[in-house]
Amino acid sequence: MDTGKRKEQLKAMFQRVIDPLGYKYSPDTELVDFLLEQEVMLEKEKGSPFCPCQGLTGEREHDMQLVCPCIPFHREHFDAMKRCWCGLFVHKDVDDPDKLLQISRKEFEESGKKDRF
Amino acid sequence: MKKVLMYTLSTCPWCMRAKKFFRERDIPFEFIDYDKADEQTQKMIREDCESHGEEIAFPFIKIGEDVVVGYNPRKYSEFLES
Amino acid sequence: MLPWVFAINENELADGEKKLLLLEDKTILLVRQEGNYYAMSNKCPHMGCPLSKGNLEGFIIKCPCHDWKFDVRSGEFLAAPEIKAPVYDTDISEGKVFVKMDGEL
Ligand code: FES
Repeated sequence: MDTGKRKEQLKAMFQRVIDPLGYKYSPDTELVDFLLEQEVMLEKEKGSPFCPCQGLTGEREHDMQLVCPCIPFHREHFDAMKRCWCGLFVHKDVDDPDKLLQISRKEFEESGKKDRF
Repeated sequence: MKKVLMYTLSTCPWCMRAKKFFRERDIPFEFIDYDKADEQTQKMIREDCESHGEEIAFPFIKIGEDVVVGYNPRKYSEFLES
Repeated sequence: MLPWVFAINENELADGEKKLLLLEDKTILLVRQEGNYYAMSNKCPHMGCPLSKGNLEGFIIKCPCHDWKFDVRSGEFLAAPEIKAPVYDTDISEGKVFVKMDGEL
């Protein structure tokens, strides 16, 4: 299947998953396009559209939690950033995604609460 | 000058932005693309991430003794200057 | 069209088992557990894989594609219950199992 078509398919499928979670696609359309393209490549190479910004280990239990959208498995962490790690998805109320920082897992855990950022 | 080492992914836009940050400031750095590395190197990178209490999320950047996970120019500058 | 659709005869499905059905043009996963019948859409809400090919453990069906787990009683995804597969009411009458096909979409 051609990459462009698969990108559109993934985009439509993921939209149905992220909507009830309170997320939308980033308004940064160039970033969205780039990330979806990476996911199509990853799907071709590895069988699933994995997160392009996190590392696979080859362990099924770990890696399956990195299939996009991986929000359900990183909910609190991503909610604190108002975005997923890649920035493909942001909270519905976000208009300026460039203002959102990547907060590492450890920083998030150490902060204890999200309003410190 | 502090030594800068990055673990990155070839598919991750924030890794590209991080590299750009250092290049634009003429700060030399080394990097390894985790997804292109051999198994042994991957294992070493995973252990390094985990030893810092982090997930295997990229970019993972060591500036001297300090570690920044994620694209965070403010922190990069802070650690470069400290 | 009548919402209650004949699915199977009770003796066609043993307790703890699952079965894939095509009812009113929809693929439905029917599960019999602790004597009750549960019907849910067979299409995984993630990327549409057929749940009938997954593993059933108690009331939990695991999608064969990326291991998302759903409760067949509610259709809810265990890691995020906001994500739900449509579920349908079931009824037994005179040894026959019926599914109410006007369930949520
Ligand atoms: S399609 Fe079911 S878990 Fe991905």
